[in-house]
Amino acid sequence: MTERYTMNEIANTAALREPCVPGLFSEEEGARLHGARCTCCNTPYFPRVATCRNPSCDESRIVPCTFGGEGKLWSYSVADFPPPPPHRYDQPFVPYAIGVVDLDSGLRVVGQMVDPAEAMQVGARVRLVIEPIHHGDGKAFTSWKFKLL
Amino acid sequence: MHRFGKTGDAIVGEKSVTELCRHAVDMAMKDAGVSWKQVQAVSAASSRFSGGKGWGLNGNDIVEDFGCTGIPVYNLSAGCAAGGNAFNIGYSLVAGGIHDLVLVVGGEVMPKGMIQTSGVADANDPEYLRQRCIGMPGPAFWATLARRRMFDYGTTEEQMAKVTVKARKCSESNPFARFQKAVSLDEVLASPYVSNPLRLFEICPVSNGAAAAVICSKEMARRFTSKPITVATSAVATIGFDDALPRSLAGPVPSGPSFHTEAKSAVLKAFERSGIGPRDISFTELQDNTCYYELAFPEEWGLCEPGEAERLLEAGETAPSGRMPINPSGGFVSFGEATTAMGVFQIAELTWQLRGQAGGRQVPDAKVGLAQTNGLGGNATAAILKR
Repeated sequence: MTERYTMNEIANTAALREPCVPGLFSEEEGARLHGARCTCCNTPYFPRVATCRNPSCDESRIVPCTFGGEGKLWSYSVADFPPPPPHRYDQPFVPYAIGVVDLDSGLRVVGQMVDPAEAMQVGARVRLVIEPIHHGDGKAFTSWKFKLL
Repeated sequence: MHRFGKTGDAIVGEKSVTELCRHAVDMAMKDAGVSWKQVQAVSAASSRFSGGKGWGLNGNDIVEDFGCTGIPVYNLSAGCAAGGNAFNIGYSLVAGGIHDLVLVVGGEVMPKGMIQTSGVADANDPEYLRQRCIGMPGPAFWATLARRRMFDYGTTEEQMAKVTVKARKCSESNPFARFQKAVSLDEVLASPYVSNPLRLFEICPVSNGAAAAVICSKEMARRFTSKPITVATSAVATIGFDDALPRSLAGPVPSGPSFHTEAKSAVLKAFERSGIGPRDISFTELQDNTCYYELAFPEEWGLCEPGEAERLLEAGETAPSGRMPINPSGGFVSFGEATTAMGVFQIAELTWQLRGQAGGRQVPDAKVGLAQTNGLGGNATAAILKR
């Protein structure tokens, strides 16, 4: 099967896309991170937590929720060298930017950036997306990333 | 201390962590005039990378090596802050009157390359998720903070490179540093990015090394010396809920600046407990995994004003002869990081400085020294020593 598809075709075929870790995010109804929120103190969490971790919260009331949409780039770095396992990447390694993003929903999230490092600017508006991080076994393994608007 | 080096080089060769520690412990006991039989307890930093019977029992390795006298051993685990934690426990045991004389030791033989996670694919481990889903090793963590400082204060890459130039100048006169050669600004700026904006010469490599210290009660110290160095205090802290940089995947957007909350908390606690303020500090040994920390930490602890660090650096005030000397030892950038040895290495440097034994890197008339470590898991320590 692998010989019959190009990497792009695999990445663009929904059935061949697989989350690199199951259960953390989904893309069927748009890019969403599966998190939680405490309805007592309004603290957002990703990944999900069992109880509220805010020491000044009076009562832990955790409900599942999802995060997505837009936000602002708080800061970023660049992986100029291939990171060690358990990360996996396509050969040849292409340096990528890693953003720390303040989603409008109040969650500060770390994630890879889709656009090249040279295009990054602190304060830039971005959107959450689900994109492949590496390919193998005829599949595109996905993670959450951010795309500059 | 055993001079820091890299596996296979002329300094540490293939020495095991126990061999490195034996050298450091021997040196510390000789320096103190103490024999092994007088040691009442060992407080050791646990390693994840070497020795310790695979369980981080490094203190037990030391006791076996020097002779099983049956003394209590405390093995402390706090990532790269473990050496600082071991010192804190050693100090607390003596200050609390449990023991009169405690040996503190940390040592490490590091695996090559960027520090990796446990290797276990555990979806409940936030560190595994961060590396698997994002791929964000240590240098990228530091680069994120450095980039934000560039945005907040207009810090330039050249200014960050100048921190390394200053550090490596200090290392020339430190016989224990792995690198003992000065570097020029051009050389630093010509080194490749490890994680833009941070370059190879601005990030500590992994090293092998060991350090040890002997702590005893004031009464007992009189038997050994007329000029002991006093531990004014030692403090341990962990990260605050509102810390600016998520240590796993995400956190709430903080309401104000809240950088390095674990380090700030440990240092401020140390000031409060000792009654020694930031203006009383003659010099500081802080955890410079990267040059960025030498700019950010002094401001956050009140050693100088926010946004002032670059000016002080460029005016030479952070050099040993300046008004706010930072890392006269040459720091992690000159030593490399032998993770669990670092908190104890700082204590050795503080002691030599306070005794006036630091040679070409001596801080003139050093009276009070501050040491600080940071470790994985949101750990931090601070210690203040005075003469």
